[in-house]
Amino acid sequence: MPPDSVTMQVAPAADAAAPPPRRGETARKLLRAGSLLTFVAVFAVFAATAPGFLNAGNLANIVGQVAVIGVLALGMTLVVVGGGNDVVRGGIDLSLANNLGLCAAVYATVLGDGWGDGAALLATAATGLLVGAVNAVSVVLLGILPLLATLAVMNVCAGLELVLTHNTVVAASSPVLDVIAGEYPAGVPVLGYVLLGATAVLFVVLQLTPAGLRLYAVGGHREAARAAGLPVGTYVAASYLGSGLCAALASLLSVALLSGSTTGSGDMLLSVVVTALLGVVFSRRLVATIPGTLLSALFVGMLINGFQLLNVSSYWVNGVQGVLILLVVAATSTLRREAR
Amino acid sequence: MAVPSGSATAAEMSMSQTTEPIAAPFALEMRDLVKDFAGVRALDRANLHVRRGSVHGLIGQNGAGKSTLIKLLAGIHAPDAGSITIDGVVQSHLTPHRAEQLGVHFIHQDRLLVPTFTVAESLFLGAEPRRFGLPLLHGARMRRRAAEILRDTFDVALPPDALVGELNAAQQQLVQITRALLNRPKVLVFDEPTAALVRREVDSLFAIIGRLRDQGITIVYISHYLHEIQEICGSVTVLRNGTDVGTVDPRATPMTDLVSMMVARDIHDMFPRSRRVAGAPVLSVAGLGLAGAFNDVSLTVRRGEIVGMTGLVGSGAKELLRCLFGLQRADAGRVEIDGAALRPRSPAAAVAGGLALVPEDRRGHGVALSLSVRENTTIASLDRVARGPLIDFAGERAEVDRLIRELAIKTPDRDTMVRNLSGGNQQKVVLAKWLSRQSSLYLLDEPTVGVDVGAKVEIYRLIDGLAANGAGVLVLSSDLLELLGLCDRILVMYRGRIVCDTPAAATDSDALLLHATGVGGTAHAA
Repeated sequence: MPPDSVTMQVAPAADAAAPPPRRGETARKLLRAGSLLTFVAVFAVFAATAPGFLNAGNLANIVGQVAVIGVLALGMTLVVVGGGNDVVRGGIDLSLANNLGLCAAVYATVLGDGWGDGAALLATAATGLLVGAVNAVSVVLLGILPLLATLAVMNVCAGLELVLTHNTVVAASSPVLDVIAGEYPAGVPVLGYVLLGATAVLFVVLQLTPAGLRLYAVGGHREAARAAGLPVGTYVAASYLGSGLCAALASLLSVALLSGSTTGSGDMLLSVVVTALLGVVFSRRLVATIPGTLLSALFVGMLINGFQLLNVSSYWVNGVQGVLILLVVAATSTLRREAR
Repeated sequence: MAVPSGSATAAEMSMSQTTEPIAAPFALEMRDLVKDFAGVRALDRANLHVRRGSVHGLIGQNGAGKSTLIKLLAGIHAPDAGSITIDGVVQSHLTPHRAEQLGVHFIHQDRLLVPTFTVAESLFLGAEPRRFGLPLLHGARMRRRAAEILRDTFDVALPPDALVGELNAAQQQLVQITRALLNRPKVLVFDEPTAALVRREVDSLFAIIGRLRDQGITIVYISHYLHEIQEICGSVTVLRNGTDVGTVDPRATPMTDLVSMMVARDIHDMFPRSRRVAGAPVLSVAGLGLAGAFNDVSLTVRRGEIVGMTGLVGSGAKELLRCLFGLQRADAGRVEIDGAALRPRSPAAAVAGGLALVPEDRRGHGVALSLSVRENTTIASLDRVARGPLIDFAGERAEVDRLIRELAIKTPDRDTMVRNLSGGNQQKVVLAKWLSRQSSLYLLDEPTVGVDVGAKVEIYRLIDGLAANGAGVLVLSSDLLELLGLCDRILVMYRGRIVCDTPAAATDSDALLLHATGVGGTAHAA
């Protein structure tokens, strides 16, 4: 990514002297600055009021707590980038949370049937990818609106999970789970390291490679990408496969955290959508980015953690998340309209 | 992409073209091209021969076949008959990719750029410079090279980090031209490049085109503006009704001759004209303005009068109509309906004020395709067929049947889905919708586009009937013959102003086209 500090000053050179930049740029800058400021302000308020918030152990905990939702949100980010962040017609993967539930059920069941970690990991990854592939086929080949296609797949995942688990908790333990749930190098839970690792990998892929840039082109203006000779469908399909893989990874974290596959994974969907959409405000272009998603995952985690420390009911977090979605979607769509 | 990814060096990117040994005198030869779309012949044995290294103009009225011809060249459609020869080689299976490989590139009217990309990213998308030969973007080199190329080619200091969405139209076009140049094109096709530009920007575009020609690039330049053609083109091909009617030297040809070539002469007697009497003004517009579209527009439409309006893309005529109906808000000026000030801030207010709009995009805005003829007809006047809060279905049926008879709408019955009607009959349903409201001013936007000749005549008869019954009618059309036959008075817009206001009987299509292309000066009838 190019540095964000850019002067729009255009030298009045030659004949094609440029008029001042379009309106909207200042507003975008304000939004971005305001978002970062909010992040810092919320942090400062919790630091000042919530007992123990600033403890290194607590901060490390936050990273661990948001790991599952964070990894899912990274997958959502891929899909939003490739499909464009139009809230209705753009890319979205509503099946992510239930895909996690299904993957967790597969992992726990395969382990419970006496297979080793190798087979269980393979089966889990295959499940996540398969769900991603179904999404990709529905969206790219069948041309179904992502919102509807992934909604349908979401229900399929939920149903299959029930078939596997009969709506019960399937306990699981394995060496891999022990590692993930275990030791805390430098105070940060292994869960947190997995989130940071996934973020780093996807950051390189999405923000630093030509393939990532092209995925942005596909989402930003499909016709322009096609005119540039890019295989548009392949890129969109790849984003859904990546998203499915993220669900599989997140399912491992979830199983490790809860010592088994549990029901109710679908409840995470709203948080995942919030996290991915919220991340948009941290980018100069108002597009989803991997660092933006990490920041917003940490922000949401910080809110939950701070409320807990202040003894505010965690039920409030849902309300706050809903308000955040409204604010972010309103601000970004207004700005996009103006820039047009 | 023609440029291999990541391997292009600065030397390769330099814009100087070496003159290759000339194989064929023509860079492009399109012969006897025929193309039908759903039974409508868009091209009928059209020819276009473009000499290597020339700037070749292509003109014609709307629907003459310009865009079809260009789409065949771009490989977007395949011709039904005829041949396309590029650089002396016949191309039988042209695809967009193949066309680019052969060095034919297009500067599209709608700029195909990703708005959230920087200038540098837009230039190199698809051929990004890489770090250490790995699949890693070399952002720094990309920015540096983008700045160099823009400076060397166009002498422009466009910051490579600026977002495309924040550039103005001219700057975006520069980015697109530069992008095309990176592929070292042999032929560059400009499709209406000046539609969104102001005069100063047009001048610099022409300077750029001149420079490209001097470097040996063949240019095809499509435009509505005849003076632009005369300014930069060495030759021009005129299309009319899908056929090329001639290729001439625009500088040696009087403007009026070019216009005569563009306009067909045979006016059929398809315009019924009842005795209409112009009464009191129903629409008075004074000093209406909308930034970037039109300014200081004043006009009057009287009851019983059909006023025509025409203008090319970018003339502001479309936007004016949208403002009158409240789809867009004007910045300045006032609008009066029957002497009472109207603030058409929304279509709802306009409808309440007695306005009716028949939009150009019939399927998008005019009718609800999945509703029946009955529902579409009364959708804007349900209060007239309602009894309290409930719809009086018997009354509605009677009203709809009356309109179906009156307008001769060809439909199996009143409950047929509008989707299943022909274009002309769909348009009649749109008219019926407003007739059922008995509006006092009808705004018609291209009322007969995509309608077959038979239905056209019936629609003309309906419009004539509206005026005869005392309504005012304002027709926006790019079909000049239609306006001449149908209207009492014709207004021509050019670059945001009404440049001509004349009785239809006192003008002809040549004169109107001259005004529309900005060479006719300003003429206002008393």
